[in-house]
Amino acid sequence: MRGLVILRIGALVLVTTGFYTYVGQMVPQREVQPPEEIAMTAELTTAEMVTIGQEIMKGKGLCLTCHTIGQTGALRFPDLAGIGAAAGSRVPGLSDIEYFAQSMYEPTAFVVSGFPPAMPPANLPPIGLTDDEILSVIAALQNLGGTPTVTMTTTHNYYKGAAAPGGTQAGRQ
Amino acid sequence: MNRKLLLLLGLVAALVMIAGVGAATVEPVTPAAKELAVQQPDANTPAQEKPEEQPQAKPYEEAEYRAFPVVGSRVAIWAVAQLHLLFAAFVLAVPLFAFIIEVIGYKTGDRRYDRLAHEFTKLLSVSFSLTATFGAFLTFMLIILYPKFTNYLMSVFSPTFLPYVLLFFLEAFFLYTYYYGWGKFHPLVHLGLGLCLNLVGTAIMFIANAWLTFMMSPSGIAPDGAVLSVRDAVWNYTWMPINVHRVIANVAFGGSVAAAYAAFKFLQARTDEERAHYDWMGYIGNFIAIIAFLPLPFAGYWLAKEIYAYSQTLGLVMMGGAFSWLFIIQAVLIGNLFLAANYYLWLGMGRVEGRQPLQKFIKYLLIGIAVCFAVWATPRSIIATVSEIRAMGGSAHPVIGFLGVMSAKNTAVNILILTTFMSFLLYRRTGKIATVAWAKTGHAAQLLIFAAVAVFVIFLGVYGYFVEATVRIGLSVPQVLSVLFAMVSITVIDIFLFRGASKTGVVRWGKIPAISQYVLIFIAVTFTWLMGLMGYVRSGLRQHWHVYGVIRDQSPDAFTPTLGFATQVVSATVLAFFLLIGVVFWITSLHERPDFAERTGARLPEGSDEVSPEFAVENAREHRRTS
Repeated sequence: MRGLVILRIGALVLVTTGFYTYVGQMVPQREVQPPEEIAMTAELTTAEMVTIGQEIMKGKGLCLTCHTIGQTGALRFPDLAGIGAAAGSRVPGLSDIEYFAQSMYEPTAFVVSGFPPAMPPANLPPIGLTDDEILSVIAALQNLGGTPTVTMTTTHNYYKGAAAPGGTQAGRQ
Repeated sequence: MNRKLLLLLGLVAALVMIAGVGAATVEPVTPAAKELAVQQPDANTPAQEKPEEQPQAKPYEEAEYRAFPVVGSRVAIWAVAQLHLLFAAFVLAVPLFAFIIEVIGYKTGDRRYDRLAHEFTKLLSVSFSLTATFGAFLTFMLIILYPKFTNYLMSVFSPTFLPYVLLFFLEAFFLYTYYYGWGKFHPLVHLGLGLCLNLVGTAIMFIANAWLTFMMSPSGIAPDGAVLSVRDAVWNYTWMPINVHRVIANVAFGGSVAAAYAAFKFLQARTDEERAHYDWMGYIGNFIAIIAFLPLPFAGYWLAKEIYAYSQTLGLVMMGGAFSWLFIIQAVLIGNLFLAANYYLWLGMGRVEGRQPLQKFIKYLLIGIAVCFAVWATPRSIIATVSEIRAMGGSAHPVIGFLGVMSAKNTAVNILILTTFMSFLLYRRTGKIATVAWAKTGHAAQLLIFAAVAVFVIFLGVYGYFVEATVRIGLSVPQVLSVLFAMVSITVIDIFLFRGASKTGVVRWGKIPAISQYVLIFIAVTFTWLMGLMGYVRSGLRQHWHVYGVIRDQSPDAFTPTLGFATQVVSATVLAFFLLIGVVFWITSLHERPDFAERTGARLPEGSDEVSPEFAVENAREHRRTS
């Protein structure tokens, strides 16, 4: 009798943990690797920058953790569809490139109405994008409804170029 | 026999030592080492081409990481830390409610409470030793496997180590005097020991929490990691929320494990008297677990809010990134806990003599709980094939996809808590009739508060779909506050309403189906698993950082594993914990056996100085008399 009780309890513990393990296998399985260093060269074309920027948005930049592209309804953060066309007129006095740069280096300077001031600076840890990586993300954002114009030599208020004081060569090979 | 046992133990200890030395001498895995391995000549290279090997002492090189065999360093640390934490939670929780039960016994003069508190405390002695052993094991593992990072943590928190050790000594002192001094001191002195034990235990946990929360939300340091303020490093964003969350969660967990112990004893009981005692003990343990569990989601809200306040990125990784699906698993666990707790209460109503009219309401509450559970476990996006996604117009289902957002989930959790609370209330008044003059008004007021709060919570949930994100996020606060208001106000009314109530039947402790005891064990396993899962998300959130945003994890284990793998590790640690807690239960039960007992009919060798069976029988009688 005593042995049977212990056996039943053991079976219950096994079945319960087994069930929860099974539930764990049923949800989407994704292994997240640490962000890889992206090789950025001065010779990259705008089209190549768009591709790299899209990868950064999905991975290291964590952009698509919050932002959506082409979704409507009760969104928690602004949808990025068409942002390439809208960016130039969003903040008076700022070009699309300056607006994108501001939204990544100083994200709380302008917050889209109805959304919380929740975006962290993309150039600081833990995201820690380099100036060149941010240029690539700008290219990818311009590509969402607009025409990419950014090159590896583009400068803006937060980045005066590799040779200028304050500019960095981080990540460029 | 004893010599054989000692020999066996010696052999096992020697094997463990050899294995430990073997594991500790594994070469450090550093990029330089890997490079060296690549450059080494092929094994097939002719011997004459190799340079003459000279025995040389290897120059000292500080290792950044060392590898643990087979499972890897991360899983090894994970399992040991989890086991340490589970035992520590138990050791901190049991004195907390043992002390409260002892106070009730002292105030009411009811000796049953004193005996119950003592019985709970019996579980502590062995558990305390296991907690300390796993703590030491974890420390050694950190030093061996992550030496550089451990060194950094030590450099930040070195001022906290001496107080920690001193408090640990004090905890050992208070724990053993509290346990062994039961009935040997004046009750107030004994209660004082219990109070000190709880204060010291909580202080120890607060210090350890500072170390781990610093890793998640570091403060008091420069961007390069240099220490600026130890006080700020301790009092970081998530320190106090984790302290509060852990105190509550420990009580819930400890209560459930103590209830499982009672269930184990109930199922093995041979007399009605034993069954009655352990049924009551199981009920009290489960009551403590569920009462502590009800406010836990609110403490969780606070913790999540502080995580967001510290770093939006960290918060978003938790709720919208790699870990978002983990909360669906959490919903399954919590839903099971609520269902099981309500089922146990429903079974418990059968203990009371006579027909129980309130029992019929439980099934409606269970339906409500099941609906809330289903809403909570509904994901926003669904795993589907390409054609299914095309048919749905996206990864979210056009109808049930609306249940996958926070507005629906917050509403479901709050209604779930409210419903379980009502279930408890119905159980509490089973077999009683309120006799106060204002009984009808009191019942109506309770019902009105319950209905009004339920409608208000649902209204806010629906309203959330029609407002901007900034407004929607803020709606969870009035939802939580209204549920808390309902719980407090209805309880207060209930206390006065049932003062001097007439009884329609007595509670027959022990008269409950055996399945109820398996439900208690199921609840304990689910609680333990939930703790393992939530421990993983708290720690895993840092992803490829040892100290978030400051010290990066460069080890081969820097990646975040799949949830499937994480749940396997959690299950393995939960099984190990229950195996060990089974040993704790067994050792504790040895205490009840008479000293020097011999098997009946066993022959003693001539001239033996061992105790005779007659003495054992007499001793057993004496033991029963004294206890």
